[in-house]
Amino acid sequence: MRGRLGKGVVSAAALALVVSACGGDDGGGSGDSASSGDGEVTLSVSAWNMDTTPEFQALFDAFEEANPNITIEPVDILADDYDDKLTAMLAGGDETDVLTMKNVIGYSRYANRGQLMDISDLVESADTSNLAGLDAYDIDGSYHAMPYRQDFWLLYYNKALFDAAGLDYPENLTWDEYAQLAEQLTSGDGVHGTYHHTWRSVIQAISAAQTGGDQLGGDYSFFTDQYEMAVGLQDSGFALDFGTAVSQQADYRNMFETEATAMMPMGTWYISGILAATESGETEVDWGIAPMPQRPDSGEVVTFGSPTAFAVNENAEHADAARTFVEFAAGEQGATAIAEVGVVPALQTPEITDAYFALDGMPEDDLSRTAFEPDVVELEMPVSETTSDIDTILNEEHELIMVGDKSVEDGIATMGDRVNSEVR
Amino acid sequence: MSHVTTQPDATRPAPAERGRPPRRKGRSRQIRRNTLVGWSFILPNFIGFALFTLVPVTAAFVLAFMEWNSFGSPEWVGLDNFQRMFGDENFRVALFNTLFYAGGHIPLTLVAALTLAIVLNRKIRGVQFFRTAAFFPYITSLVAVAVVWNMLFNPTMGPVNQFLETLGMANPPGWTASTDWAMPAVIITSVWRDMGYYMVLYLAGLQTIPEEYYEAARVDGANAWQRFWHVTLPGLRPVTFFVVVMLTIQSFKILDLIVVMTDGGPGRSTLVLAQLIYREGIREGRFGYSSAIALVLFFIVLIVTVFQFRLNERRKA
Repeated sequence: MRGRLGKGVVSAAALALVVSACGGDDGGGSGDSASSGDGEVTLSVSAWNMDTTPEFQALFDAFEEANPNITIEPVDILADDYDDKLTAMLAGGDETDVLTMKNVIGYSRYANRGQLMDISDLVESADTSNLAGLDAYDIDGSYHAMPYRQDFWLLYYNKALFDAAGLDYPENLTWDEYAQLAEQLTSGDGVHGTYHHTWRSVIQAISAAQTGGDQLGGDYSFFTDQYEMAVGLQDSGFALDFGTAVSQQADYRNMFETEATAMMPMGTWYISGILAATESGETEVDWGIAPMPQRPDSGEVVTFGSPTAFAVNENAEHADAARTFVEFAAGEQGATAIAEVGVVPALQTPEITDAYFALDGMPEDDLSRTAFEPDVVELEMPVSETTSDIDTILNEEHELIMVGDKSVEDGIATMGDRVNSEVR
Repeated sequence: MSHVTTQPDATRPAPAERGRPPRRKGRSRQIRRNTLVGWSFILPNFIGFALFTLVPVTAAFVLAFMEWNSFGSPEWVGLDNFQRMFGDENFRVALFNTLFYAGGHIPLTLVAALTLAIVLNRKIRGVQFFRTAAFFPYITSLVAVAVVWNMLFNPTMGPVNQFLETLGMANPPGWTASTDWAMPAVIITSVWRDMGYYMVLYLAGLQTIPEEYYEAARVDGANAWQRFWHVTLPGLRPVTFFVVVMLTIQSFKILDLIVVMTDGGPGRSTLVLAQLIYREGIREGRFGYSSAIALVLFFIVLIVTVFQFRLNERRKA
């Protein structure tokens, strides 16, 4: 009898051990995954959706070729969960060497928590005069990440639809001219003149960039012109209305590639997508890119964008190799590698732009090249402690204006009221 | 010790043991041993439960009185989180929306499930097929359900509004693109999805009502409505009680369908408590405040459920 009882207790205890061992394994078991025997280093780099985000592989391959003693081990994370996952990893003392900063908001959060290594010396020693987007990573004069990729917004257009309507391609547009074109390009058979995707940045970030308005400021009257234009276009049927786009879960790629719209403001990341769709035969759209339309009083081409950067984990196992990687990615070789897969690098030189436009399927006209060199690229959303809360409010009120539940004036007034009462 | 090998002894005391007081000690030891064996059987499950449910739930209770951003150590703030909650418009909006959803989802699902069960409890041809068909929505992936219903509810090109227009409605509702109709749209979708499951419960309940009751009622001259009201409904009371409790809990913690279908929009018109908890905790890193909201949600569900238990006890008496 005692024997059986004892056995039961022992097996239960063993089971408990197994369970707790499983629990503990996630945290500490990764210590010996990388060997550093004869100068061989395995560098771990966090990335997202590797199979649909070709620049990571391109960059890793180029880096491994330039540094034969370093092997890169990607840590692939689902794009939608990227920041949640990274937050949890870092909170658990993860030792992944290089961390990709998917957006600037996340960057400021990690940097302020002291989870990223200060790499100001790297930034200072490098030639950063042509490195776009670097300012976004300046935290009180020090840098904890270096951008390797800089996306910004421009206007995609369908050349065939412009030709059919007998219109000139959209060069040096003002927003009024853009709205007129949208009207002229709308035809009865389901083709809209333009498509505004449902994101609030399509309206808000561009007007902040072009008017100098502050999205964290609490007074949003500078959105007015842009909203009136956008609401006017959808009410007249020259753009797909917001409610339909949301309930269909409209995909902007689909809208443009099936020629359901003649124009579309969108970020440069879509270039690689459209190149891939063309190559695989999914679309035959004849496309070009133009600079974003401007306000009438503007003397230069102003748009908005957001950089992507690499940072070194404060707990990095191979800090030196990680720094080498960050420097490489922001430098000329890294920029060339990702330009070759159609991604816009942060480093902008004429040679790299040439390499970019030499890609198969890229439009070759001058307008497209002009579009690629805007005068000013403002940050999509300023970074501060209140950014995330304000983003939520601006997004909710954006929806209410776009579905017609609130007038432009009321919606903008509510944005200000809510930001002032809920966030401050 | 002979009884080691005789398992049935535990449940059925052997007659030989009666009237033998000296063996009492052995029996109590055996009871203790059996208890331990029982515990060891549920131990694996219990460890998992304790580790992944009990500890976090207890932690949430404590966290509700603290401020914690998942880094550094939590700071005791007393009732600050609750004070903040009652001044927070997002909380009020989410609470109202959650009650709105529960107020629509619970009665409508109950009625739909009961109706389906009664209709499909008859001996008609193809009844198995219809029962399966009614259960199908429940086993369909939630994301697929949400996406398809979203398309059906498309305000300009959706079949629902096209149908309403052929019926002569000039301005059909905007459904998920309208602040007034987004929640009804979600409720309709959730009723459609859940009614099959509760129908199965009701079908089982209907089988337990003895045919004799109906015969007796018929002999007494009760018509169909009276038989339903005085025989079927009272006979289903235990099932109804279970269904209402399950529906209540399910309604108050609704999150998945809303996130996929409207994501709380347009504006805040479908923002519910569970979503606010997620947003404040996971996204904004305010785990203390988020836990406080979770605690309030827990107590709402607890109070409603206790009330339902009381009501059920009284009816039973």
